[in-house]
Amino acid sequence: MRVARIERVKRRLLKEAVADNLETMRGLPPRNVRGPRRMLRLWLRRAPILLIPITLAGSTWFVASSNAVSSPAVVRASAIPLGQRAQSARRAVGPATLDPSSPLPALDSSVFPLSVRRVVLDAGHGGTDPGTVSASLVSEKDITLDIQQRLGALLAAGGFEVVKTRADDRLIPLRDRAKLANTSSGDIFVSIHVNSIRNPERHGVETYYLGATSDPSLTTLAAAENRASGYSLTDMRALLDRVYADARRDESHRLATVMQDQLFGNLKNIDPGLMNWGVKRAPFIVLVATEMPAVLAEVGCLSNEKEAAMLRKPEYRQEIARALFSGIRAYANKG
Amino acid sequence: MAEPTTDILHVGIDLGTSRSAISASNGERFVVESYVGWPVDMVAKKVLKRTVMIGHEAVANRTMLDLHRPLERGLLKEGSDKDVLAVRELLKHLLALVGVSEKGKVDSANVRAVVGVPAASLRTNKQYLRNSMKGIVDSLMIVSEPFAVAYALDALLHTMIIDIGAGTSDFCVMKGRYPTEEDQRTLTNAGDSIDTQLLKLIEERYPQANVTVFMVREWKEKYSFVGDNGEKIIVTAPVRGVPTEMDITADMRAACETVVPPTIETMLDLLSRVEPEFQERVRNNVILSGGGGLIRGLDKTLEDALKQVGGGKVKDMEDPVFIGSDGGLALALDAPDTDWEKLSA
Repeated sequence: MRVARIERVKRRLLKEAVADNLETMRGLPPRNVRGPRRMLRLWLRRAPILLIPITLAGSTWFVASSNAVSSPAVVRASAIPLGQRAQSARRAVGPATLDPSSPLPALDSSVFPLSVRRVVLDAGHGGTDPGTVSASLVSEKDITLDIQQRLGALLAAGGFEVVKTRADDRLIPLRDRAKLANTSSGDIFVSIHVNSIRNPERHGVETYYLGATSDPSLTTLAAAENRASGYSLTDMRALLDRVYADARRDESHRLATVMQDQLFGNLKNIDPGLMNWGVKRAPFIVLVATEMPAVLAEVGCLSNEKEAAMLRKPEYRQEIARALFSGIRAYANKG
Repeated sequence: MAEPTTDILHVGIDLGTSRSAISASNGERFVVESYVGWPVDMVAKKVLKRTVMIGHEAVANRTMLDLHRPLERGLLKEGSDKDVLAVRELLKHLLALVGVSEKGKVDSANVRAVVGVPAASLRTNKQYLRNSMKGIVDSLMIVSEPFAVAYALDALLHTMIIDIGAGTSDFCVMKGRYPTEEDQRTLTNAGDSIDTQLLKLIEERYPQANVTVFMVREWKEKYSFVGDNGEKIIVTAPVRGVPTEMDITADMRAACETVVPPTIETMLDLLSRVEPEFQERVRNNVILSGGGGLIRGLDKTLEDALKQVGGGKVKDMEDPVFIGSDGGLALALDAPDTDWEKLSA
């Protein structure tokens, strides 16, 4: 009896595991972050991108009559491939070039006019998670919290609204940080961390944005779906989510580049030995789960005792906060 | 040259930060250290007579190698071409050990693999792993590591798996369904963080001693404990070139105990999210796996913590090294052909 029950449960779990893998292959986000309400909210938020499939379907009338988005980027996006169903739709409403094998062109981020008003600041680690700890027992969680407070004050004085993922020494789960950023409608997300590397002689700064592959899953999805019955509405949503993700990634990259320039440019004046480790991609949870341009800045290196000593000084932490502020302001001004 | 077989080979792989294990349907099981190294220059290449070294061999010859660990904090690294190559080399090496290679008994086109990854691995990371395994296996299923452990043990209902590895500690409550993000947690307080802490404490206590993280890791694997042990831990390390005995009992305890508060906090938090009527059953079915399961006294310490919520039982795994890969193999064997066809790598 028990054996039969276990076998039944195993069969169900296997089925779910396979389904989870197929969703990953199709580039879909996890189920728990794509409930119906969330999808509706995302749809409303991304309403301007609705023009893309419609443009794809060749409805020039809609583009002309729309006053929501009329940028050339949307017109360029009309090269997005559609399947057979879309082809029949095309026959009904007008001409469009459809090629299931061609990759999706990236959406120009200028489609989304950005204005940075609310900045979400995330002080890395906290509570029982100290982050990295220097040999002289300086904890990353204390440094990040202090820099966050200083940066928050600078931003507030500069006219920005500031949301903080933690205000004291407590452990906030990463997904709760992302959730807070999303629900508070932040315009950008800046996560502050301090590095630790094996070579204690070296120290530098680096800034991360969401790592993305060249997206073969998307090509696979398009080809697979075109072989079947064409695109359903759900498929189109998935595609649009990916297009939007590309735009967000581009913005995140731009934000990371500006932040890194300012961070290194300002701090190297104080610490000539500081190295510029540049802008990098990485799939940190807070970068994936947030819905706005997001970066993670490694503002120093606690494995280097000289820098650990500098990080202990309030003046140096203030300089880091100033450098981060300059980066955010430069990004906002260019937006 | 061996005659290739057309039989399908099913494998389960536990891709770990510190060690990776493989279990295959032909009965072979291997574990290797998750290190990949390339000779740093022509001299090293000539001495080593190899273009790439993997596992223990790579660690042993690390001074002549550009050494890479494909995983960091349980996630595949994506920083450089070498990182990408390191993952592929490690996976190819594991598969070669069970007979899969160009000149081996099994062709990669006949291999179906289940790979266990940390519970909190992101879809992008799983996709990256999938890309890394292109051409190495025919079909691939990626599952969370604690799920694979639970599957191996038939512990699929009202069970909590705590899998403490090198890069991450994975927690998963099995509720008879495929675990979602809500059912799982991943901490980076794990074996590596113990190593870092232990190295720091030893360097503070014995500033003249010449100790590396590799030595510390070996000591931890032999002697790790929490609570009162009653035994002295004496190790030998060079001080100004002279082998010298050092008592690291207090340091070992302090370093190992750094993982205790976050482990307890996470365990109790996940428990509190279980439906109230099932909490007692889950409390009495906590399974400790991974290398962390070998920390002496950790099971008792967790049981003490469970007393504050009504008590419970924590069981150690007898064979923590292969339990994840065995679970992956069980999944691979149970999955029907129709599913495998959908999961081509």
